[in-house]
Amino acid sequence: MLHLLKYRFKSSLRNGSSMFWALLFPIILGTLFYFTIGKMDEADFSTIPVAVVVGEVSQEADNFQHFLQEIEESDSDIIQVQYMTEDVAAKALEEKEVKGIFYTEDQISLTVAAKGIEESILESLLNSYVDSAKMMTQIGQIHPEGMNAAISSMSNYQNLVQSVSLKGKTIDGNVQYFYALIAMACMYGCFLGFDAALGLQANLTPLAARRCITPTHKLKIIASDMFGIFIIHFVNVSILVLYLRFILGIGFDGEMGKMLLVSGIGSMIGVSLGILVGSAGRITENLKVGIMLGVSMTCSFLSGLMVGGMKDIVEKHAPLLNRVNPAALITDAFYCINVYDNPGRFYRDLGTLAVLGILMLAGAYLIVRKECYESV
Amino acid sequence: MIKIENLVKRYGDLLALDHLNLEIDEGEIFGLLGPNGSGKSTAIGCLLSLLKYDKGNIEIFGRKMTPDNYEVKRQIGVILQNVAVFDELTVYENIDYFCGLYVKERDKKKQYVQEAIAFVGLENYEKMRPKKLSGGLLRRLNIACGIAHKPRLIIMDEPTVAVDPQSRNKILEGIQELNKQGSTIIYTTHYMEEAEQICSRIAIMDHGRSIAIGTKEELKKMIKTGEAITIENIQLEQSQVSDIRAIRHVFQVEYKEDVLTVRCSEARHNLVRILNYMQEQEITFGQVSSQLPTLNDVFLEITGKQLRD
Repeated sequence: MLHLLKYRFKSSLRNGSSMFWALLFPIILGTLFYFTIGKMDEADFSTIPVAVVVGEVSQEADNFQHFLQEIEESDSDIIQVQYMTEDVAAKALEEKEVKGIFYTEDQISLTVAAKGIEESILESLLNSYVDSAKMMTQIGQIHPEGMNAAISSMSNYQNLVQSVSLKGKTIDGNVQYFYALIAMACMYGCFLGFDAALGLQANLTPLAARRCITPTHKLKIIASDMFGIFIIHFVNVSILVLYLRFILGIGFDGEMGKMLLVSGIGSMIGVSLGILVGSAGRITENLKVGIMLGVSMTCSFLSGLMVGGMKDIVEKHAPLLNRVNPAALITDAFYCINVYDNPGRFYRDLGTLAVLGILMLAGAYLIVRKECYESV
Repeated sequence: MIKIENLVKRYGDLLALDHLNLEIDEGEIFGLLGPNGSGKSTAIGCLLSLLKYDKGNIEIFGRKMTPDNYEVKRQIGVILQNVAVFDELTVYENIDYFCGLYVKERDKKKQYVQEAIAFVGLENYEKMRPKKLSGGLLRRLNIACGIAHKPRLIIMDEPTVAVDPQSRNKILEGIQELNKQGSTIIYTTHYMEEAEQICSRIAIMDHGRSIAIGTKEELKKMIKTGEAITIENIQLEQSQVSDIRAIRHVFQVEYKEDVLTVRCSEARHNLVRILNYMQEQEITFGQVSSQLPTLNDVFLEITGKQLRD
């Protein structure tokens, strides 16, 4: 058995193409995600420079300038206000030094030169102010005694929405992409499983035929191959998880042991999928690779690898799919570990994954255990 | 040592083995000779219990051969038609891997691997991976993987296909050497020269049946042809072809594109009689050759077609 395992490790670890897909590709993709999402974050939260052109002095203008000052001085760093003359402001807008110009007169107005996230934020600020100002007028007319409290709450604009997570764990919405990435990496174990399958069935390759006619029990060969590949892939996925957590600093704040447990079962499913597809029928190798790629990518897509809210869309329209899609189960288990802190849901995910893994493993074993074939 | 009785194997409607019967003795180099598709590889597949068969019985070393008869399998070495090695392992590792499936003792295994490497002449390539080896060297590695554990029975399924002449000779010499060392060898081929060169007995196969078995001399005696005379660059009229056909001991005459082929039964002076006729008729001709019957002649006479058709 050790002899078989030793050479299984050697041959799998030296198989460049399989190891690329199972280890390097997810790491490269994770790194790309990190930089892409990092840039998105920067774009979302960088301070927006905005010009203010003060026109005729009015109560309305004073209130709005006060409102802007409150926002600027808050911790949110949403805007950076610069007071300018109309000409200078127009030039600054043209040269993109500011993203918009607020004109403060009787009527407050906003001028922007483009449509984008930053311009939308400025527009939202203005709308928010206008709505609040209307409310203040109504309060002044109906409940003048509450005016001070209303003004105070109006200036707390930046605190109206705050991200919190359950049970005190922090949440970064972008982490979901990395959960889906790990799920994809687990599924990519199919490439290693596929290679092993080609060496197990005598009707697929001469190498498998030669192994089948040795005096080694077929079960021993299958067990050593499956176990060896599972270990290799589990290490692959663990490297990815640790790389994301400790090198890229992705916020996996839950228990690392549980994350690795989920990764282990996910790896088993990926490897079993490869053995199952690799062993199935007499279809061409290219078609089998296509099937594996299709299955693993579809599962990953539905778990939110490419579109953030995909898992929620599936949950809304076809919830059963989320219960049987291994990639979705893996990401959900990660959510449970890092966000929800919901042991019941976590163990349900884990149980379903284990059942899926055992079913696939059993299916793969039933196909490859044959020692005698109709044709070779 | 090996007994195959009434073996029948079908692939759907195709009858691949049609009541095949063979008996092979210990110490033989037994050739299975036949054209592609004659059932040689299928017979080997059944013999090794890789293929299911519909009917018949196979015994090796006096025991029924089954997929889980590991004791019998332990004494068999197989060299398949296609190279069957791990691309990711080196020459040494490949041989060590397969040898290790048969031999458990570490020191003995190490010794056997070194001996196999020396036997096939791959000492300078031990650390190379198969993809870097030439076709001939790859075939030698394939052989080393099959024989390293010093099996009692070696089954070789067309091991010289697509091999250059130099490597082919080396392989054939190696097979004879293995036989001298005590291994019984079953050798399938569609090259009659190889079968003639190394096999002590030969079974000629066609359509899944063994149509003749014996030593090469015995096989040649089974047919009428004792001598095949070929005369090139010769111009003949139809009446002259008929005259030649009437010469004593001549039983077949073929005249095509200025080449005359005359088959005679075994007798003295066949060539002289034909040349005398040419002289009488003042017929000019080019090169003349006379050949004793080959296994191809045996196949031709029994089946009516060439071995390589």
